[in-house]
Amino acid sequence: MISWGPIIFGLILGLIVGSQIKLNGNDTHFTLGAFIVVFIAGFILAWQSGNFPFYTGPSLSFAFLSALIGIFVGKLIFARSK
Amino acid sequence: MSQGSVILKLISLPISIMLICLGIMTILGGHITPGGGFQGGAMIASGIILSVLVYGIGNSPFELSHLYIEVLESVGALGFVIFGLIGLFVGGFYLYNVGTDILNVVPQAIQSVLHYPDVTNAGIIPYLNIFVGLKVFAGLSAIALAFAGFKKYVEEGE
Repeated sequence: MISWGPIIFGLILGLIVGSQIKLNGNDTHFTLGAFIVVFIAGFILAWQSGNFPFYTGPSLSFAFLSALIGIFVGKLIFARSK
Repeated sequence: MSQGSVILKLISLPISIMLICLGIMTILGGHITPGGGFQGGAMIASGIILSVLVYGIGNSPFELSHLYIEVLESVGALGFVIFGLIGLFVGGFYLYNVGTDILNVVPQAIQSVLHYPDVTNAGIIPYLNIFVGLKVFAGLSAIALAFAGFKKYVEEGE
């Protein structure tokens, strides 16, 4: 059984934090490929975390994964350039 | 302030993102697992602090404005107080755990959105954790940003 609470609130909290990521003034250039690699690494981390925080359902931390998706979506939608 | 190492600058943003995700995960599992709002908020703030330390306050990818920190801090404090007052008026005590079915008007699907399938019912604790996490994240980040900004201010003055 998938619990919707960690997914919804993880997305909201991720959006809140991800809306502040601005990379233009950064001297290390993070491209789209770098973010895809970060997402894959985060997915593996969520998978290895197991079904945390609720111990029912698939072996995947939906809170972690939804927070990661929320950060990227927040960066894409809300984060404006410097 | 910035360390200047390319390796540090390449790796610290991904680590910051992972730290923030772990902090959010800790907040959302605080009612049934070790951790909670304060710990998760401190983990999120540690991600911000790592970026500020490595990139410097001027080049940090996480650029938290004064308004952003102010709004988050206020929302966290207000949410906590409002839940406390709901407990006071409904249950008779401040922060009384009145459960998620307040005045029998909340639909069942919303009541059980953070309900762990067990005999215990967390009630308002997960929502309190979220508000505390927001407040701690904003507060600790503001302290670190203030220290970093003060150091930059002193360096510019010398």
